[in-house]
Amino acid sequence: MCKDFILSICIIVCSQSLVYCQSSAGWKEEVNVYNKIYDAPITMVSGKKTSINTLAETKPLIIALVFTRCYGICTPLLLQLKESLPYKHDERKYEVLVVSFDSRDKLKDMQRLRNQLQLNANSNWKFAITDSISRLVASVGFNPVWHEKIKQFEHDALLVGVNSQGYISKKLIGLRSENDLSMMISSINNIFTPTYRLPGKSAMLSCFNYNPVTGKNTPGIGLLLIALPAILSMLVLIVINKLVHRKEEI
Amino acid sequence: MTSRLKKITSLWITTVLLLFVISIILGITMRFNQAEVIRLSPITFYTDMTVHGLTMIGIWFVAGMAAVNFIMERYVKTSKFVNILALVLTVVGVLMFWASTFIGKFHAGWTFLYPLPFKVMWSAWATPLFLYSLAVLAVGWLIWCISLIAAMLKKYSITQVFAWQYFKKGPKEETPPFILISMITLVGIVTCLITAIVLVVLLFAEYYSKGTFVNDALLMKNLTYFFGHAIANEMLYLGLAVIYEMFAEISGRPKWKTTWYVSLAWNCTLFFILTAFFHHLYMDFVQPEGLQILGQLASYLASLPAAGVTVFSIVVAVYRTKINWTLANLLFFIGVMGWVVGGLGAVIDATISNNFVLHNTLWVPAHFHTYNAMGNVLFSLGFFYWFSVNFSNSRHSEKLSALKLFLLIVGGIGFLAAFYIGGADSIPRRYSNYPAEFVHAKTLALIGGVFASIYLIGILIFFVNITRRCVKILFSQSA
Ligand code: HEM
Repeated sequence: MCKDFILSICIIVCSQSLVYCQSSAGWKEEVNVYNKIYDAPITMVSGKKTSINTLAETKPLIIALVFTRCYGICTPLLLQLKESLPYKHDERKYEVLVVSFDSRDKLKDMQRLRNQLQLNANSNWKFAITDSISRLVASVGFNPVWHEKIKQFEHDALLVGVNSQGYISKKLIGLRSENDLSMMISSINNIFTPTYRLPGKSAMLSCFNYNPVTGKNTPGIGLLLIALPAILSMLVLIVINKLVHRKEEI
Repeated sequence: MTSRLKKITSLWITTVLLLFVISIILGITMRFNQAEVIRLSPITFYTDMTVHGLTMIGIWFVAGMAAVNFIMERYVKTSKFVNILALVLTVVGVLMFWASTFIGKFHAGWTFLYPLPFKVMWSAWATPLFLYSLAVLAVGWLIWCISLIAAMLKKYSITQVFAWQYFKKGPKEETPPFILISMITLVGIVTCLITAIVLVVLLFAEYYSKGTFVNDALLMKNLTYFFGHAIANEMLYLGLAVIYEMFAEISGRPKWKTTWYVSLAWNCTLFFILTAFFHHLYMDFVQPEGLQILGQLASYLASLPAAGVTVFSIVVAVYRTKINWTLANLLFFIGVMGWVVGGLGAVIDATISNNFVLHNTLWVPAHFHTYNAMGNVLFSLGFFYWFSVNFSNSRHSEKLSALKLFLLIVGGIGFLAAFYIGGADSIPRRYSNYPAEFVHAKTLALIGGVFASIYLIGILIFFVNITRRCVKILFSQSA
């Protein structure tokens, strides 16, 4: 019986460690969340100079990091954002800031992008460039990789939510549902959004493991530790009972 | 009953009462500081709060254990060596803990909720000393509990000791209610002491890993309240075991017997008391909803059946019957009422919709002080009084009895009312000084402090009388 008990504990511990290792591969979206974004100086297409924090102070920001020569995800990302946002969400609660992470982009490139998206008249969308690209992308954990052969960046479709204190409260990678956008808008407005733990040194003994792929919590080793004292005291009872009666038999 | 056991029990009683008086003085000091009648630095306030909380929990736990150990000798043979070992380890543990707090200024509260012990705002050595003191106490008490469980299992089978035979028709063997409740409680205590050991091991692991191992905050909070909530409740049940044995005897009534519903109620209590702690995590929204619901249900199910059968038994025992009322059974009787009122306060707070309002307000110390200061303390005082009068061969005068009861009841009710009103007024707990926004907080603290002083006078009279008799037992040739 004792052997079975130890074996089952080993199996549970190993399988939990495996779950933890697997799920940690999907944690990219969590990198740098709750850190302050780099307060990069930016120049808007209007020529006005400001900084990210100054903009965020007036309205929380959804920042889209793109480059205008992109053959891939940048335009679909912006189009989807444009279509999803106005129908469901109150524009007073956020502003969209589209910033280029390509140093070749100039103001006129950003202006052209704005025209293509027919957002000239929409004051809730801002297009800008910055000369602090590397510090900005590093502060949000965004790593575009340049491919010389095709003259393109390989990169994620990334939206970064920044609250009015300049903290990154949420990141979304990929083309995401309206529900996810709603959560981002809530989080940048400091409104409660369901949360899950971030990876860190303390995750090994956590009670629940969040799996970013399924979006679900599964029981972790921590729960086993909570149940352990009850299991041990039952064992203590059984062992004492055996011992006192064996003594009697002898 | 051996004279050695009487002497050890006298030592326990004297130690508990001495530490109780000191802890009450710390409590009154805190209340007067909150009233701004005196001025303590916040560090001194929180040090006092930590010492007061943990010492109180510790002494009323060992008081119950000492009484249970003494009475258990009527049924089975218990180990005197383990009893003394527990006493020595308790004194050593308390001295280590007091050194970490009074000298080292450790002041993370009696729950030392993670990560507070590592946010060092005191002498660096105080954190490990505090943790070692907990380890010494937990190990000493665990050995004591296991030894008592073993003593019972020598005589009773597992089925008998949990009174499961009453679920069948015509049970052949009898299980005295005292044995049933002691066993249920001791198993619960073993569980929470093992939890304390797991907790301390994890805290040590983080402390000695120098940052390479970090604990999970949610796990630590679960473990802390598993231990803290369970021990604070189990110690009450030790007192109830004593009442089930002694109330009828002292009152001159037939002994209480175990029935199927007594057995069922107490067996339910074993499970539910260990799962009720989830109500401490209502505000931790990362904890899945199912556990929060379990917390609320277990809070009801842990308290209602045991309270139901106990109150029923007491009412049946006293209703329209001739009772030999003495100070001991009066203390038991009033203690049960205090326990029930405090329990109701707890159930109100454990209801999720109410907890949104009452969480971490003075309602929390209000309810747990009710079932402690006006419940468990009275259970043990009743036993101490009975023990000291019975075995010191001293003639006891009932002259002071009415005065003592009056002081305890008036002082206790006034002290508790100030907490309850504060809680209902949303005044937060654990504030060294109240901000001006809490308009009534200072006045209530002053009222609480004054009434607590009246309670203290009552306790001092008990202390002097009982200790005098216990010292007599301790030094008598044939106790
Ligand atoms: C007349 C006697 C007592 C007085 C004057 C007193 C006073 C106090 C005060 C003022 C507090 C702090 C309340 C706050 O959060 O603002 C407190 C906390 C506490 N008391 Fe008492 N108390 C008394 C009896 C007891 C008894 C009999 C017990 C237990 C068996 C007890 C256990 C505790 C505990 C566990 C805490 C919480 C400490 C913490 O938060 O870390 N007290 N008491």
